[in-house]
Amino acid sequence: MTIILVLLVVVPLLTTILCAVASYRVSAAATVVTGIAAFVGAIVLVPTVSAHTLTAIRYLRADALSVVFLLATCFLYAVTAVYAVGYLQTARDVSDGEEERRAYFAQHSRRFFVGFNAFAWSMMCAPLVNGMALLWIAVEITTVISALLVALDNTEGATEAAWKYVLIASSGLGIGLLATIFMYFAGAQVLGQSYDLAFDPLLAAAARLPDTPVRLAFVLAVVGYGTKVGLFPVHTWLPDAHAEAPTPVSALLSGSLLAVSFYAILRYYQIATDALGPRFPQTVLLVFGVLSLLLAALYLLEQQDIKRMLAYSSVEHMGILAIAVSFGSPMALTGAMLHVLAHAAAKGNAFMGAGVLVRKFGTKELDRMADGVRLLPWSGPLLVATVMSLCAMPPFGLFRSEFQIVAGGFSERRNAGTAILVVLVTVAFLGLSLATTRILFRVRPLSSDGRLELPTLTVGEPSWWMVIPMVAGILILLLLGLMPPDQLLVLLSHAADTLRGRPA
Amino acid sequence: MIALPLPLIQVLQVLTVAVAAPGVSGFISWFEARLQGRRGPRIVQPYFDLAKLFGKETLVPEGAGVFFRIAPAASLACYLTVPMLIPVLTSYALPLGYMGDILGGGLILALGSFLVATAAAETGDAYAQLASSRAKTFAAITEPVMLLVVFTVALITTTDLPYVLGATVRSGPQQIVRPAHLLASAALFMVILFETARIPVETHAGTTEFGMIETGRTFEHSGPHLALLHWGSAAKQMVLFVILLNVFIAPWGMASTTSLTAVVLAIGAIVAKSVLLGVVIAVLDNSYAKLRLFKITEFVSAALLLAVLAVFTLYLGGG
Amino acid sequence: MSVLAAAPGAPSVFDGFANAVALVVLLLEFGMLRASLLRAQVRLYAGQSLAVSVLAVVVAVGHHVPELYVLAALSLALKVVVVPLLVLRLLRDADAEIAGSGALGVASEVLISIVVAAFGFFAVGVLDIHSNVLPTAALSLSIAVVLVAFILMVVRRDVVSQAIGFFSLENGASLASLVVASGMPLILEVAFLFDLLVAVVVFGVLMRTHQRRSQSLSTEHLDRLRG
Repeated sequence: MTIILVLLVVVPLLTTILCAVASYRVSAAATVVTGIAAFVGAIVLVPTVSAHTLTAIRYLRADALSVVFLLATCFLYAVTAVYAVGYLQTARDVSDGEEERRAYFAQHSRRFFVGFNAFAWSMMCAPLVNGMALLWIAVEITTVISALLVALDNTEGATEAAWKYVLIASSGLGIGLLATIFMYFAGAQVLGQSYDLAFDPLLAAAARLPDTPVRLAFVLAVVGYGTKVGLFPVHTWLPDAHAEAPTPVSALLSGSLLAVSFYAILRYYQIATDALGPRFPQTVLLVFGVLSLLLAALYLLEQQDIKRMLAYSSVEHMGILAIAVSFGSPMALTGAMLHVLAHAAAKGNAFMGAGVLVRKFGTKELDRMADGVRLLPWSGPLLVATVMSLCAMPPFGLFRSEFQIVAGGFSERRNAGTAILVVLVTVAFLGLSLATTRILFRVRPLSSDGRLELPTLTVGEPSWWMVIPMVAGILILLLLGLMPPDQLLVLLSHAADTLRGRPA
Repeated sequence: MIALPLPLIQVLQVLTVAVAAPGVSGFISWFEARLQGRRGPRIVQPYFDLAKLFGKETLVPEGAGVFFRIAPAASLACYLTVPMLIPVLTSYALPLGYMGDILGGGLILALGSFLVATAAAETGDAYAQLASSRAKTFAAITEPVMLLVVFTVALITTTDLPYVLGATVRSGPQQIVRPAHLLASAALFMVILFETARIPVETHAGTTEFGMIETGRTFEHSGPHLALLHWGSAAKQMVLFVILLNVFIAPWGMASTTSLTAVVLAIGAIVAKSVLLGVVIAVLDNSYAKLRLFKITEFVSAALLLAVLAVFTLYLGGG
Repeated sequence: MSVLAAAPGAPSVFDGFANAVALVVLLLEFGMLRASLLRAQVRLYAGQSLAVSVLAVVVAVGHHVPELYVLAALSLALKVVVVPLLVLRLLRDADAEIAGSGALGVASEVLISIVVAAFGFFAVGVLDIHSNVLPTAALSLSIAVVLVAFILMVVRRDVVSQAIGFFSLENGASLASLVVASGMPLILEVAFLFDLLVAVVVFGVLMRTHQRRSQSLSTEHLDRLRG
């Protein structure tokens, strides 16, 4: 089993290096194969870590909590790899012509695959590293790689978004570094001057850690890593970066990177609950969660750009996650873990569908798109289903997870928080569904000069490579909603137990 | 060993400042000229200038009020009162030394400056009014700096008496290296550059009217009034030098007993230290250019920054 | 908090000297607020990194932590030599010299930064965190450096100043780690440094992209994405 852990960390790195030198076809094939292999590897790990924590070569560690986030990342890695083939191909078909456009495409796709694999590798490393310091380093690497990827398209908006992203996210991680330092200081009082912030010793000593440094470290971690999660008020880079990145990258950013950064907060939460008691950390998370949810719900009501709308939906779901963890009951925490998985699948699907729309209509503005259901016989309905799932409709996975969260909130008598959660989720539902149904079911686009301008678009999918991942995503959502596999449920409940700390 | 009575030593403190001040000014001008490769004026030239001015007649502009007439003498009196309160010659407190602490000394200096500024404002002359309004504008930032420097003294020694701070600084190397002390000294030095009208705030010797702050305030005075004002500003310069040297930077060489030799040596020491500080200021004069008027706010806000940091590191860091 | 009873005795020579070096770091941060030439900013950053390395050596000497020598040498090589060289090369290619003081004038920025630094000082003072490696004043100073670096990033309107602001934020964090986490295993500290190098490379790439696209280093027009 440890070998799988090591392979999960090593193989995507090798693929990255391969893609730097290989041709387009080889890179595409290698990426897809690595993605699917990673997903299979993560699934194989599930039974083992439900029983005990896995460690390897001293710097890697997998427990139930890590594997939940690893599953989300690897699933998205696999499906977006397949999608990326279609995405780049539809761009390629446009450019198959002169010599220089082909060369430009070759360079662009090489950069894309190298960055894509490196990004997925770093996001897979982050849940698997053993120690707070290594965790910070892993998250910092995800930031820098994804910043380069956001700027890949080289448009005005992309460069602006990339600069904003890298500056804000790096500053946030600077605060995260301060959090790591103060946590180190807290641990040094108990564990001696020179230790390496590995999880197990720190968790074992958590109850004896001094109060003030841990409190400080936790708040700094929520603000610092929260910058990368997209919590209010440090979410301002999120809509720009997710909207301007290439679609497969946006899917990874929204579905997986936000979750991995939240994983970092959860590690701090684990130690803080052991050291300080549950009250303080939960209050902090509740405040940030409610504010993020409120902001996202309000902004969702007036979006003009489809990918930006989905980005705000990510902020909403991260807020829901924070609120769920703040409830603290076993059901809410299990719901939160399930939410991570289901959100990854749903958000990935949504972005992929949005990417298909963008490829089809040639624009990202909602007002210029219309009649999606007829023009895209597969992606259209799949996108409707995905957005419905994002709004937590049954029978999809997000319904089950949010239901569990709400039930968990009521069971802990957090009535006010739960009520606010439900109200704001409804507002978000309104915004999302209005916009999406407008695109997909309205027959004519709303152009600015009033006259309809239906470009003659043929009925049909731009590429089958872009449809299959969406089908896979919907199937996973249905699976998670209707019949989650038992092993998975055991994993989720173990992860929830880890978060609740030592049983009293 | 002739022991001098304490009141005599106190009078000697005032006299030293009064007599040596024009000489220090003269030395700075001479040294600066030498650095520039000129022969420069005589070091004792300011004395001759004062004598010459005392012999001339006084002209008063029409409409000038009482401030114009009393400001020269009153400001000189203020500037010569302060040497009674600060350690000039001795490291022990003298009888009238408890009349006011360093805060009181700062207030008296500010009073002298205020009188001169009001006198200039009364004249109705364009340049004098301009200069006095500029001086007071920047003083809005430099007066808090002086206060903060005083607070640093207070926080280090828990008293306000400059004598005690001198003793503290002499007590060991850790007092000199501590950041609060260094910052307060730097801030006070920058304020001195401003108050004595040196580069980078203004050109001391020239009369560039558009840049005058300190030197413009004496525009309308003449004869003995002008002599008293020049003497007053030289005395102010010497007083500020003495505060910086004997309280912050170099509190050595002062008499610790009342014997005549010790006091005479102390007089020599303070004059020598002032001369050395004058050398530093002359070098700075020749190294930098005058700041444009609106950039002087940056300069004084930098002094404010240093003083604030001095108080913070002391108050919150024990530094 | 005791008011005006703050004369328990001067800190030792080691503490005082360490405090003075940490103070130099903060003063250089304020100097960056003032510098309107981009090259001057980079040089001030190099000076600030030098001060942090010197402090690492001071701690190594004073507390006999030999690992810190290695750290000081590495951070000197990286932050004093490599990073400024990279940025200066970008400046040479971009052919831009003057950045101006940003959105406000220098004096206003200094006053605001004084308030912010005061907040940092008081916050650390309230927290009552004491390390036996360096005095608490050094921790207060490092938090003040971080906060003033944020002000620098906020008021400046060009990519190089913002990037230098971020690098000096890392300097503040390194200073804080010297105070409270000086025993951290060397490998972790080195990993932090190399992470910073990677970040610098990425910043450099993005700065060049920005410069190529908009022919200037200014961020005034980066306001298209709204809502």
